[in-house]
Parts: sequence; C-alpha cells; structure tokens
Amino acid sequence: MIEQALDQLARWLMQADAGLGLVALVGLSMSLSHLFALVANRLTPRQVVSQLILDALVLSLALVLASLINMLLLRAFAGAAIDPGELLAKLGPSLIPGLFYCFVAAPYISDLIASVIWALIHLNMITLLHVHFNVSYGQALVLATPGFVVALLLVVAVFHQGWQRAYRQLASTLAPTAES
Amino acid sequence: MAPLQAIRIQLAGQRRLAGVLGWLVLLSGLSSLVISLHAGPLLLSALSPADLALVLQAVAILGLLLIPISGVISVTSQFAFWRGWLGGLPQPADIFLEPAVATADAASTRCTIVYLDGIHQSERDHPPKVAAFLALLESRLPSHVRLFKGLETYTVTPARLADDAGGSWFWRRLFALQEHHPNPWVSLICAVLVQANNVIKVGISSDRRYGPILNYELALKVAQRLAEQGFQPGQPPGGRPQELVLLGYSGGGEMALGMAEYLRRICRCPVRIMTFCGVFSGNQLLEQVGEIAMIVGDRDPVAAFGRIAYPGRSPLLPLSNWNKALKRGQVRRHCINGLSHNGLSGPFSDRNRTAVIAAIIGGL
Repeated sequence: MIEQALDQLARWLMQADAGLGLVALVGLSMSLSHLFALVANRLTPRQVVSQLILDALVLSLALVLASLINMLLLRAFAGAAIDPGELLAKLGPSLIPGLFYCFVAAPYISDLIASVIWALIHLNMITLLHVHFNVSYGQALVLATPGFVVALLLVVAVFHQGWQRAYRQLASTLAPTAES
Repeated sequence: MAPLQAIRIQLAGQRRLAGVLGWLVLLSGLSSLVISLHAGPLLLSALSPADLALVLQAVAILGLLLIPISGVISVTSQFAFWRGWLGGLPQPADIFLEPAVATADAASTRCTIVYLDGIHQSERDHPPKVAAFLALLESRLPSHVRLFKGLETYTVTPARLADDAGGSWFWRRLFALQEHHPNPWVSLICAVLVQANNVIKVGISSDRRYGPILNYELALKVAQRLAEQGFQPGQPPGGRPQELVLLGYSGGGEMALGMAEYLRRICRCPVRIMTFCGVFSGNQLLEQVGEIAMIVGDRDPVAAFGRIAYPGRSPLLPLSNWNKALKRGQVRRHCINGLSHNGLSGPFSDRNRTAVIAAIIGGL
C-alpha cells in the first residue's frame, strides 16, 4: 500500500519535474521580494535564510493548491481527467512571469510590478487551458479564476501576516526610538 | 576570527558582488545605447526590420529590468546603513550629548531653515543658480532666522554622492564624464543617471515599506549636522525655544515631509514644512507636524505630475494622510503666476526668484 502510494508519487514527480521546479522557484522569488522586511527587523542571517525558505515553501504550496483546484474544475466541468503531475507540467509555464516577482522589492513601483505579474500569470493560465484542453477562452476564464483567486488570497494572507506586520512593527518602533 | 566579524566580511563581499553585477548590467545597457547612437548608416542598413525590432525589444526589456534592479540596489544601501554595516547608526539620544558651542548667532536664533535641494543635487555645494538664490534668501531673512544649507539630501550618510558607500568609484567616473566628456549626449546621459539615482531615493522615501527607515536615517543625519552648528534641542536654559522649518525644492519637498516627524521627536522642537515646486507623496506622518506651506507655480507640470504619480494626494482617497492634513487645515497654498519648475521661468531664475523668496519669508 505504502509502496504503491510512493510509486504513484514518484510517477507524478517525474511528470511534473519542470512544473514543480518552476513552482518552487516562483515561490522563492516571491519570498525574496520581501527580503528587506526581514533585514529591517534585524534578524540574524540564519533566521533570514530559514524564514525565506519557509515563506517560499508556503507560497509554492499556495500555487500547487491553485493548480489542484484547476484540476478538479477541469475534471468536473470539462470532463478532462488528468493527474496532478501532468497538469503541473502542462500549466507550469504560465507561472514564468512569477520568476520576476523578486522585483516587487523595488521601491514605489512594487504594486504596479506585482499587479502586472499576477495579470500575466492569469492570462497565461487561460491561454494554456485553451490550448491543452480544447476549451473556449470563456470557459478557460471560468475554470482558471477560482484557483487564481485562491492563490492570490493565500499570498495576500502571507503578506499581511508576515511581511506587512514586520514593516508596521518597524515603523511604530522607530517613532519612540526617535523620542528616546 | 569572531563569527559575527566573519559574517560581516562575507556579507560585505556579497554586497560588493551585488553592486558590481548591478553596475555591469547598467553599463552594458549604456554601452548598447552608445553603440546604437554611434552606429553608422551601413550597420543600420545591414539590419533587417525584424532585426531592428528584436534589438529594440531587447533594449526595452533591459530598460524594464534596469528600473527595479536600480531600485533594489538603492534600497540595499539604505538597509546596510540601517543594519550598521556602513559605520553604525547613531542613537538619537547621543546626538545632542555634547554641549553645543554657544555662539552669538546660535543664542539669538529662534528659527532654523533647513534647505533640502532638488534631484539635481550631487555635491554638498549647490549649483551656481541655487547658491545665488540661497545667498539672496539669507540676506533677506530676519535676524532671528538662520539658513542651514549644503546638506546632502539624497545620501543617508554624511557624505557626497561621490563618497557614498558601495558606488563611490562609479559616481566619481560618472561626474568626470559629465564634466569633461566632449560629447554632449554622454554628459546628458550622466546627468540623467545622477537624477535617476535621486528620483529612486524620492521613491524610497514615499514607499510605505522602506520610507520609515530612510526618513529616520535622514532625520538623524540632519540632527547631527544641526548639533554641529550649535543647535540646542528643546528649550535651552535661559533661551527661547527654537523652531525648525524644512524648506524643500522639488524632490526635496518629499524628503522634508518624510523626515519632519522624526526630526520633531529627535530635536524636541516644533517643525514646519515649506515646499516650492514640491513633488511629494504626502504618505507620511503629518499629524504632529506644524503648518505645511506649498509654494507652487501655475506653469509647473512637474509638481502637477506629483498629484497624479502619488495616489495618496488624490481626492478619491479621503483617508490618506495628505487628505487628512488638508481637512485639518494644515496645508497652505501660495501660487505664483508664471512660475515653472526650472529653467528661465523656474524658481531660481532672475525673473521669479524674488517672488519665491518673498513667499518664503512671508510664510515664516
């Protein structure tokens, strides 16, 4: 039973190696975009690295979850039975703009860069669904949107819980420091 | 070797490597531009329209990548200073520990104007037209008001851009090219690069994530320089309380708004803000700051652009810090007819400088 499950997992991983690698890299790039939040709060280099990796894993998980939602919707509404590995391999390239997410660290234009990257990812996903699964663009939009929204919400949640709190904490500690 | 020191050395090496890589990308972009400018008609005719389109696409992509990369490199230097890697961050409580040298000027001063220059600033000394403007302003100030000039607005360390940690060699070469290169295009590109660096600093100051750190660092630097000039925080014994007025031109207006609240706390005195032709976000903490006087020109497209570039100043966001300040009646606006952002009808021109100086003195 365990052997069969591991064999299955190995088959998925081999099919999805490029897709999974891309997901992990995008997660790391997203995590890197808020590196300064960690540096600002005077974490040690070891803490910074471990926090970066942890954030990258959580963000990668969010992207994998979005792909799984796409898979379920494809099976339910388009009748396309596809395993997760194959899906990741086919839809993974839609995440390529996310490799540049680290540039969200740039000052002032960060929101613009993030919005453009998310829009490109969604657009790529719709196009790839249309090409690989022979669904119309309208159907592809309906199928891709729930997964996209879930991924976006999870990333926003990580942003609010981790990074933005770190920046707010820093801003509030600077004011009393200035007074001391 | 102590582990902390080893980490510092390693991080310093990484910072140098990152800096070198960043500048390599920047220089390769510049050299592509120069080659394309100098390319003869023969080379251009040898390229098919498809090749030209490809080259243009590559240049556009490089440009798109360079903007965020420059921003990230600039933020890195702010954070290196914040972490104490560039010589340590002074403690606010230590700045005014040394008893100030009591000069006759310092004793009679009740108001100190701190001038923050626009994005053209690269040296501690101001350009000739700005220096002439400041000299005229200084001569017309009341006796109890002192002007503090020559402050490097866009570096967090008390250094010129040419001595800024991480990029000093680059800036020195850039200034040499700007001043001595016979080709005016090269001089122009170098001037644009200096201004681009300062624009990034304005962007960092207005950024909700990085702004607090940069503004705090700048406030510390200004407080240090004021302490050197004999400034006494709070109410000196037997003396009158001093007031600080931050006078910012163009991007200096953003820096003034950014550091005002921190400077008020560090120097323990009231702080007011005056901007002329100011480009600023208004994102900062303004509640405890005194009046904000804006001197604007009716022919100034750059200052007007600030209202579009910074959403916080749009009336569509009534809860932004700037709009709250407007509601409190904290902002006063003085419009000068015929004033543009720079050049022959700018605030430093012979035509308009008297009107601008009169508006500044009238607002004191």
